[in-house]
Amino acid sequence: MDITGTFQYEEDAISAAQGLHAAGIKNVSLMSPIPMHAAEKALGLGKSNVRKFTLIGAILGGLGGFSMCVATALVFIMPTGGRAIIALPPYLLITYETTILIGVLSTLAGFFLVAKLPAWKNRPYRVEANVNRFVVAVESPSSNEVKKAEQIIRGAGALGIEQTGDTL
Amino acid sequence: MVMKKLFDHGEPSYEQVNQDVIKSLIETGPKYWMLLATTVGITVVCFIVPWMYQIHMGVGVAGMNRNAVWGTYLSNFIFWIGLSHSGTLLSAVLHITQSDWRKSIYRSAEAMTLFSLMVAATFVMVHVGRLWFIHWSFPIPNPMGLWPNFRSPIMFDVMAITTYLTASSIFIYMGSVPDFAAVRDYSSGLRRRIYTVLSFGWRGTSKEWHTLGWAYTFFAVLVIPLAVSVHSIVSWDFALSTVPGLHQTIFAPYFVCGAIYSGTAGIVTVMYCLRRFLGFERYIGKIHVDYLGKLLIALSMIWTYINIMELFTGWYSGSSAEIEFLKFRLFGFYAPMYWEMILFCAFVPLLMLFKSVRLNWNRMLVISILINIGMLSERFIIVSTSLPRKLLPDSYGFYFPSPAEISITVGSFAMFATLFLIFIKVFPAVSIYEVKETLNPLRRAEKT
Amino acid sequence: MSVLDTIRKYREAGYYKEFDYHWGMTVDLDRCTGCEACVVACQAENNLPIVGESSFAQRREIKWMRIERYWEGEYPNAKLNFIPMFCQQCDEAPCETACPVFATYHNQDGLNTQIYNRCIGTRTCAVYCPYEVRYFNWFTYTWDEPLERQLNPDVSVREKGVMEKCTFCIQRIREAKDLAKDDDRRKVRDGEVTPACAQSCPTEALVFGDLNDPESRVSKMANDPRGYQVLEEQNTSPSVVYLQKVHGDEEAI
Repeated sequence: MDITGTFQYEEDAISAAQGLHAAGIKNVSLMSPIPMHAAEKALGLGKSNVRKFTLIGAILGGLGGFSMCVATALVFIMPTGGRAIIALPPYLLITYETTILIGVLSTLAGFFLVAKLPAWKNRPYRVEANVNRFVVAVESPSSNEVKKAEQIIRGAGALGIEQTGDTL
Repeated sequence: MVMKKLFDHGEPSYEQVNQDVIKSLIETGPKYWMLLATTVGITVVCFIVPWMYQIHMGVGVAGMNRNAVWGTYLSNFIFWIGLSHSGTLLSAVLHITQSDWRKSIYRSAEAMTLFSLMVAATFVMVHVGRLWFIHWSFPIPNPMGLWPNFRSPIMFDVMAITTYLTASSIFIYMGSVPDFAAVRDYSSGLRRRIYTVLSFGWRGTSKEWHTLGWAYTFFAVLVIPLAVSVHSIVSWDFALSTVPGLHQTIFAPYFVCGAIYSGTAGIVTVMYCLRRFLGFERYIGKIHVDYLGKLLIALSMIWTYINIMELFTGWYSGSSAEIEFLKFRLFGFYAPMYWEMILFCAFVPLLMLFKSVRLNWNRMLVISILINIGMLSERFIIVSTSLPRKLLPDSYGFYFPSPAEISITVGSFAMFATLFLIFIKVFPAVSIYEVKETLNPLRRAEKT
Repeated sequence: MSVLDTIRKYREAGYYKEFDYHWGMTVDLDRCTGCEACVVACQAENNLPIVGESSFAQRREIKWMRIERYWEGEYPNAKLNFIPMFCQQCDEAPCETACPVFATYHNQDGLNTQIYNRCIGTRTCAVYCPYEVRYFNWFTYTWDEPLERQLNPDVSVREKGVMEKCTFCIQRIREAKDLAKDDDRRKVRDGEVTPACAQSCPTEALVFGDLNDPESRVSKMANDPRGYQVLEEQNTSPSVVYLQKVHGDEEAI
């Protein structure tokens, strides 16, 4: 059983979410059709962990790319054009490309892991959240939290509250 | 700074944005199917069939010969890679600069990038002599223990284009996840199931938006140097040779500038079609054609400067080989094409200095098509006037494309159109959530 | 060998400190009459395809050895210069770096080798070659009866999509090296191996041998003051030295 509250205005939804946090209620999610930078600050979301994925991916990609170039050149020694076997200008260029390639792939992986997607199981959701309404949802609150949650949501100026709200 | 009006006919509401964009995706009339059938037909007849014939007979079906071993296949490849730089510029660069006017057009521009790259990759496959061994140019473990030659400019190409294809597809896909969720909510049946999978269960929580925003910014930061490097690398296929007309350091900036130039002109063409055929006049308006026009003027001037420099350094060098090559380019058989290119890419865009031209979609369509015709000729000129004039005068030659090559060139445009037509019915062609970011925020206080 | 030494070895330009043999040729332009016997001999020895009249008209002929002709002056004082042009087996070949699949590389004999089986036909090497001595098989050329009986069994035939060029008759070099190895593991002596072009030249304008060996005929001729290399300024370090033609009423420069 989930509770979802629909709001018309951004500030109402944010204050509802903050109120729920302050009351100690867990599994609160605030859904919106567009990213709300004000909300991110209010909800304490600082720098994302996706950065770490990008950095590690890029470093691994760079090292991997250069090692690939050197290792494949040493399997059979085939000198070309009077150049060295381990020629830096071409290999550094390949390294540059693999850095970006693995950086991009690991950023994608980071996005999915940090945002905890894909998540196809049933979770509280309302269709309006992706159109023009802000939705605050509490997932499976305990019985004594329900009344407090509804109070906070109504107090913040909700347009509507649903007890067993739409699920995904 | 005065905020320019993003919307010509008044701001739409949030629901309207959802409706307009998703309707363009879900509703398909008979005109669409006829158009799709036509483009698929032209692709098969003009591209696939001559290509299959070439695989059967040999590359000799094209018009290339002992001197001009490279021809339209490679020049088209470069043209399509060039066209692909549009999306990256609009999407990534303008995202970093936080420009609002990009928000409604960047999705289609990114799609242009992806599909141009796919067409370009196909041209590589058309170009090589033994297509069935092309996997040897990838570093795949094999029983022979043979690896590709990473010192080769072609290998830089392979790695760069692989990376760019991967990055572009991920970029456009990741940016579309919230929009897939919007389409999922609006649809039913099989379509709903497909979009449920594609949207990965996106709900729009602040955590998800936060992560998407960071990931998207990091993507943009990674993709910008990638785009610059890809076309530089493609130019080095030519510049690392010993051919007088190709062995120039200006090639990397020349190609990157030409790429962004032709790509931006391509965006104008595509935006015109989106407005006209999908009814997006509300979202793509005067501000877009104005800024794109200004961008085109700036790029045209850089392009003109680089061309003048090419002529100047060739003449100034006093090298007999360079001067012979310049004479062939300016006054030889392909001189009309060269001067047409100069006219369309250096002089015609100057018309955009006039507001009456720049703010008129029809005139901009004509100019953008002329620019791209000029850029296509430019790629062709680079290949066909340099290779027949290498260093040994007894071996001077001549190159003219064969009917099969011309057919394949036409077919490539049809292939691109097919891919784009499929795109507009699978992806929302205008980014719903980014357009909403430009509308009045849904706030109680400070209504702007 | 320490790790640093290994790295130094692989970071050295060209990799080889010295070649086993450094096969080279000299072309005496004074002796060349432009008879093209070398062209025919090369075609016969190396199974060069006969491309046919229409392909020839499209400038798709395959002539590993070709004679370039340059006219000087007007009738009746016209002079004709012949320059036999074939793969110069450059030590710093621009074509070798171009190939993405290592179908062409420099071997221990100082030869620029072409591996037909590996070639995927990107034709980058032909663009990069300043001498234009690389030839592409635009179609799979066949020989009409009974010409296929003339094919050299020591040499392969190439299919469409493969690049080919002069190899200094590497099949003859291999045979000579094999015979020398059987014969008490000695080195190939000067004169034991001759490519088809040098063998058929009526005026002995083409001289082939080991440039490593200072006593070989080719080394002595390469040191001739008339010697120059074609397109020297491209810095390709070719293994072929051309000896300038001496005109009757002018001094050789």
